[in-house]
Amino acid sequence: MKTLAPWIFVGPAVVAVIVFLYGPMIASLVLSFLDWNLLSPDVGFAGTRHYQAVAASHDFRLSAWNTLLYCLVLIPAQILLPLGFALMIHGVRGSRMGPIYRGALFLPTIVAYSVAGVAWSWLLNPVNGLFNEVLSALGLPRSRWHTDPQLALLCVSLVTFWKSFGLNMLLWLAALTTVPQSLIEAARLDGARPRRIFFNITLPLISPTAFFIAVTTLFSVLDDIVGVVDVLTGGGPAGSSSNLLYYLWQQGLGFFQFGQASAVAMILIVAVLLVTWAQFALVERKVHYE
Amino acid sequence: MSRFLPHRFALHVVLVILCLVTLFPLLWMVTAAFTPQDQITAKALRFWPEDPTLGNFTEAARRHPIWLWLGNSMLTAGLITLGKLALSLPAGYAFARMEFKGRDTAFWIVVATMSFPSVLAIIPTYIAVVKLGAFDSYGAMIVPMIPYVGFYVFYFRQSFRQLPASMFEAARIDGAGIWKQFVQIGLPNVVGSIAALSVISFLGAWNIYLWGQLVLEDTTRKTLTTGIAMFADLDGAQTPWGALMATSLLSVLPVLAVFLMAQRYIVEALAPGLADK
Repeated sequence: MKTLAPWIFVGPAVVAVIVFLYGPMIASLVLSFLDWNLLSPDVGFAGTRHYQAVAASHDFRLSAWNTLLYCLVLIPAQILLPLGFALMIHGVRGSRMGPIYRGALFLPTIVAYSVAGVAWSWLLNPVNGLFNEVLSALGLPRSRWHTDPQLALLCVSLVTFWKSFGLNMLLWLAALTTVPQSLIEAARLDGARPRRIFFNITLPLISPTAFFIAVTTLFSVLDDIVGVVDVLTGGGPAGSSSNLLYYLWQQGLGFFQFGQASAVAMILIVAVLLVTWAQFALVERKVHYE
Repeated sequence: MSRFLPHRFALHVVLVILCLVTLFPLLWMVTAAFTPQDQITAKALRFWPEDPTLGNFTEAARRHPIWLWLGNSMLTAGLITLGKLALSLPAGYAFARMEFKGRDTAFWIVVATMSFPSVLAIIPTYIAVVKLGAFDSYGAMIVPMIPYVGFYVFYFRQSFRQLPASMFEAARIDGAGIWKQFVQIGLPNVVGSIAALSVISFLGAWNIYLWGQLVLEDTTRKTLTTGIAMFADLDGAQTPWGALMATSLLSVLPVLAVFLMAQRYIVEALAPGLADK
């Protein structure tokens, strides 16, 4: 009885993640080597054909390149800018405006992708969108925004950032409130400058949160971007704003190429595992737990 | 204190500007939701409806069953949240307060899923839903979204660990069994954490879009955020912008109300959960 009881508590969660999260990963691995269109009873062995097809695909390479760009730009932005916002809100703590700033800046995070897409596609509308009206009023040339292959990736990144910085900001803010004010005051009396206080006192104390944010931001960025791309550009024009997760989504659920989509999923899983492993190896040693 | 005042004032100015920039698309959406359709598409830009109207809401309701969608959103978001709590609370409790063989392995199996982008599992899950004959059902919308509990289990474990062992010791001496300790000592002492994560889960579930797009087909089963896509192509000339903005606003208001009521609670509850090992 004693040995069984804990498993009654943890069993449902363990079974649920194995069946619904690990199961699909393994199924993806299997599907990536099969020829199967879901409808027919015939299931053939494809070997590495799907991987070869994917690797040879121009759209895949473009999506992979875009994903790299997204990650290089969005992940640092998604970590550092919310920290900046949180520091500012923390800087006016005690003010009646604090909760208002916090709520206002968090608001885009609780808006659905479809709603964000509606609002932004109107603002960015190339024909009579507000941004272009403003440009015209200022005597500047109008832009095609997200329908311009040169700008689509930038527009999607901007909307994704707008849509998802709120949670990290909230996490940073929550961490900042745990730093004892007496330590900061003592350092200030000793003549320490704000920069030194931040790097020598605040940051070490909130490092568990920093680590948590560093590890989870990669996935939240990748998750958010699929929704934003879907509602704003559909990956276009000509794949210029696509990314690997959206490519997977399109191949699998738009064109029913389950084999190729699963191959992309496997490539992504390996990439994600490598990045996570690197993050743990590099960062966790620096995390300071009390 | 006074020498920090100019500094604080500058912060307020920057924050107000930042908020206005961030809120702008949504402020504009509110304006459009109350502006007559023929004025929305007029070129001159307005930041305030000149002839405020509720016509866009009635027009939206005439085109699509938006009130039914509102109910569907409540139902799905509520059930997903309940499901997540039912999985993660007992698990977090056992990982925090019980010793058993395989505990650390089981913990990492669950918590590692915190880092799974949901899109990676979507194709096999979709195939399974279709093969099980569950396509276009509430179950298909709700059940596969529940197991994303990695963060919840991690977080509740932290919450339960912070409770003093003496409380449980006392209950044990009084003859309370494992279940009783969980329900009578554990749960009542982490109410703040439960409230915070319920709100976070509800907000997330309310806004599920891609999965809903995929598995919900019948108009009567859509949620607000998936139904919005039925208002036509966003770049199309025939888009009923007024009705679309009204429906979008309708989908934002409930979550906005929930968040505003709970935001103080959320920040307070998140702080110790993440900062303490």
